[in-house]
Amino acid sequence: MKPSTLTLLIILLLSACDPYQQDSYEEYYVIESYLVAGQQLPHVRFSTTSPVEEEYDFTEVALSGADIEIRKLNADSSIIERYPYRQQNSGIYQPVNSATVEDEQLYELHITSESGDIITSTTYVPGNFQTVNELQDQYVYQSEEQIEITATTSSYITGRQSFYIFTVNTLNPDTSNLTPFYRDLVINEDNDIENYFINSSGIINQRNYELDNQGNITLTVPWLAIAFYGENDVVANAIDNNMYDFLRSQDVQAGGSTLSPSEIQNIRYNVNGGIGIFGSMSSDTNRVVISRSDSSN
Amino acid sequence: MMAAGQQTASVNGYVTDAESGETLISANVAIADSPKGTSTNTSGYYTITNLEPGNYIIVATYIGYQRFEQEINLEGGEQLRLDIPLKPEGYQLEEIVVESERDKEEQSNIGLAQIETELIKKLPSVFQADVFRSLQLLPGVKAASDFSSGLYIRGGSPDQTLILLDRTTVYNPSHFFGFFSTFNPDAVKDVRLYKGGYPAKYGGRLGSVLTVFNKDGNRNEFQGSVTTGLLASRASVEGPFQNGSYMFAARRSTLEPLLAILRQSEDNIPDSFYFFDLNGKVNYRPNEDNDLSLAFYSGTDDLNFPIADDADIQLNYGNQTLSGTWTHIFSDKLFSNFTLTGSRYFNFPSFNIASTPFERSNNIYDFSLKGDFEYLPTSNHGISTGFWMGSLTLKLQDTFDEQDTFSSRTQSQYGSWYVQDKWNISEKWSATPGLRLSAFSEGSYLRLEPRLSLEYQPNDRIRLQGAYGRYNQFLTLISNEAFSGFDVWLTADDGVPPAYGDQYVLGAKTIPWEGYQLDLEVYYRSMKDLFEPDPFLPDQAGLPYEETFRFGKGFAYGAELFFERQMGRLTGFAGYTFSVTKRKFPNFNQPISGGSARFYPPQYDRTHDFNLVLEYELSSRWSATAVFNYATGQAYTKPLGRTVAFDFPTSGGITDQLVVGKVNASRLPPYNRLDISFSRQGTFFGIGEAEWQFQLINAYSRRNVWFYNYDLQENPVEREAVTLLPILPTISYTLDF
Repeated sequence: MKPSTLTLLIILLLSACDPYQQDSYEEYYVIESYLVAGQQLPHVRFSTTSPVEEEYDFTEVALSGADIEIRKLNADSSIIERYPYRQQNSGIYQPVNSATVEDEQLYELHITSESGDIITSTTYVPGNFQTVNELQDQYVYQSEEQIEITATTSSYITGRQSFYIFTVNTLNPDTSNLTPFYRDLVINEDNDIENYFINSSGIINQRNYELDNQGNITLTVPWLAIAFYGENDVVANAIDNNMYDFLRSQDVQAGGSTLSPSEIQNIRYNVNGGIGIFGSMSSDTNRVVISRSDSSN
Repeated sequence: MMAAGQQTASVNGYVTDAESGETLISANVAIADSPKGTSTNTSGYYTITNLEPGNYIIVATYIGYQRFEQEINLEGGEQLRLDIPLKPEGYQLEEIVVESERDKEEQSNIGLAQIETELIKKLPSVFQADVFRSLQLLPGVKAASDFSSGLYIRGGSPDQTLILLDRTTVYNPSHFFGFFSTFNPDAVKDVRLYKGGYPAKYGGRLGSVLTVFNKDGNRNEFQGSVTTGLLASRASVEGPFQNGSYMFAARRSTLEPLLAILRQSEDNIPDSFYFFDLNGKVNYRPNEDNDLSLAFYSGTDDLNFPIADDADIQLNYGNQTLSGTWTHIFSDKLFSNFTLTGSRYFNFPSFNIASTPFERSNNIYDFSLKGDFEYLPTSNHGISTGFWMGSLTLKLQDTFDEQDTFSSRTQSQYGSWYVQDKWNISEKWSATPGLRLSAFSEGSYLRLEPRLSLEYQPNDRIRLQGAYGRYNQFLTLISNEAFSGFDVWLTADDGVPPAYGDQYVLGAKTIPWEGYQLDLEVYYRSMKDLFEPDPFLPDQAGLPYEETFRFGKGFAYGAELFFERQMGRLTGFAGYTFSVTKRKFPNFNQPISGGSARFYPPQYDRTHDFNLVLEYELSSRWSATAVFNYATGQAYTKPLGRTVAFDFPTSGGITDQLVVGKVNASRLPPYNRLDISFSRQGTFFGIGEAEWQFQLINAYSRRNVWFYNYDLQENPVEREAVTLLPILPTISYTLDF
């Protein structure tokens, strides 16, 4: 056999043997619900995915007729209490009876679809924590005095360090109240103002902060977090593993990593039998007023 | 047969360019009508030993130079010092006479590719003639995009290639955030790329080695060159002094007028955006057995960019290298090099948005000492041995809102020793067994790396070759294919073992007709314990070092065909590559409903890649160059499904989610592009020779796709193709004086 023929044969063989072909769309069940320590049981959304080339409409993919309950569990997964749900709107289910979410507690979302498929997910609600220092009622935007919060720390079942997300939620969501940077993004760059109603820090590990003698951490809120003048809630959230995995992988999917732009990854879901999120967190909120500096008036 | 007790003779010396006195690396030197021959080493030195007393014709050849022949008479025991000056040719002659059996020794080594600096200058290029862009035309070497000069060689990422400038490691060889490489073609003398199966002399990277040597400077006369282009310009001078020479070359971008025009009609134009680099070398030869040289490089990129009201970004990054080399010839059988190297890479990105500053200080310092010895005990053995030891310091400091958020300082000591023997077993068989021992202080790793290459030469026109090697890599790089300005290197450590892999290469180098070359190489390489930062970790605070990485494996295989015409008015080469490369990391690319991780191709994988480079001498004044590339589209991940989180408590709006299947299982449209260039030679008012260069990049304006962007604000999701370079005309003028 001539070398050129042999080369051609090898190439053809190698080309034909690649089993890594693009797979096709599959439909998945989707759940969504978030427990917040100290608050009432939340609603649950139950739906399916839709093909990417089709218009997404929740009412079209919402699933009715599901048997849904949230279960309060012992550490060995035995059931302490069941909280049944009923459908309120298409794909949205509300608890039949009200109950308060407990911190440092394990919960399971258990869904039996109309066709009998079972979808489950469990979450451990992070321990409560609270602010221990007094905040000023008012802060001047971009002044030397920044918002400083000293808080106790949250706890988690695995003994892992706490993962926090700090958000600044505006109570005055009006274009006229936008701070200069966000005004430029909304007015000149055509970004949606709703994106900044809740301005999030992203995930921050507790080990970024040194514990003081009382075991508390102190956070300084950067001015970058302030999108609106006026009243704002500064919220510290300690998140569970499900929210942690969801957020960090969703950030990667949105391009926030060193992966190549075309290397899109699935979000990390901790759901059996479907995708989505059944997350939990504990929160602490402080209300402050951000006033314009003299120079910006 | 030599009479018993009769002493043999030898001949040795430097091979140089007759006009400039530059030493020539890998020039071929041989004794006519005999199997004795060699090639010059990286210092341009050759030696042929164990010659019986008598008359010989010594022959020296080098592509682009006239053949050298001289009769020599050797007495018993004589060590003839014969420095050989080769005269450059205008262009390749129609006939090339190859008589010596050892005529193309080094160029034909397995896995080795070379690209001539003159060709680099002639190839069409956007900003500046570019070494890396030229290398990307060789089979087995790929580019990630039109915007990236990174070298993706035989399935490896850019950090798997060791890049040495005058024997000094360069950590980020890029300007304009990766758009083109730092090496100035005016300063460069020699570029050679060991694509795979590289010898024991080199180590520290899994894949390949690129060695770049800058010019020593013209030893005969003062010489200069100035090139002005639309977007960048460069200048160089070189010349002799007593027993020595010097060379200095500088480049700078000249974007300022363009930015000023754009600023009048567009917002968010950079306040400052430039690159600058300076190369220099001073060479001193006190006597014929000693040579001293001092080489340096310094380059920087600077960007100051107001991105919005109350927000701006600044980025400053660059490299600095310094090396001092002492070359000493102990005897006709023992040659040595000792080099002290220093290399620094830095980047200082910062932004200030709404009075919230972020600043990063990232520095790499690498200081080393290396020594290489070449010993020729008999005519059948060429033993090389050497050491390389140094200290590598990585310093990284982040501050956010004027508070330290990350600080690390890692100082590692590394060392290696190698030995290899080029053993001419018979006239047809030769072997180069080698061994390399590498040590790294972080984690206390000691690794042994066997290497072996074999060659069978059934006749003068065919060489059949094979190579095997084990390779280790103690470093990994955090980078971005689209933007290399924030590169961070990390090291192996406790719990983070070095990556390692094996390479197997088979090749056939042939000369089908005089003046033509046809090469085929096939390869397979494994990659194990690949370590890279876990892309899913948003914050590493409080995590043990080993938990910040993901560890994976990979493999690559392929075939490369290279056909070159080296003579006549029409010269050039065509290269074809078939290649497959895959990676696998735990919890990555696994089915969404559960299951184990799957191998996937990285984005830069291209199954088929064809390059054609042609140069035609239209007349004594005009020449034309054309470069055509056709390649399989790169891999990308196709979204299949979609859903939305409506109530995410820490988000102001809805949170879109894409559902994908296999990662990178789809392909972008095939890539193809034609670049053409016309050059006109002339004179500039008698001062010197001048050249106009007219170039057209992407001549038929093919809108090649870089990647797809999925706009989730639209319903249904809209796919937008982000394209690469459009058609771009450029013009430059060069004056040599």
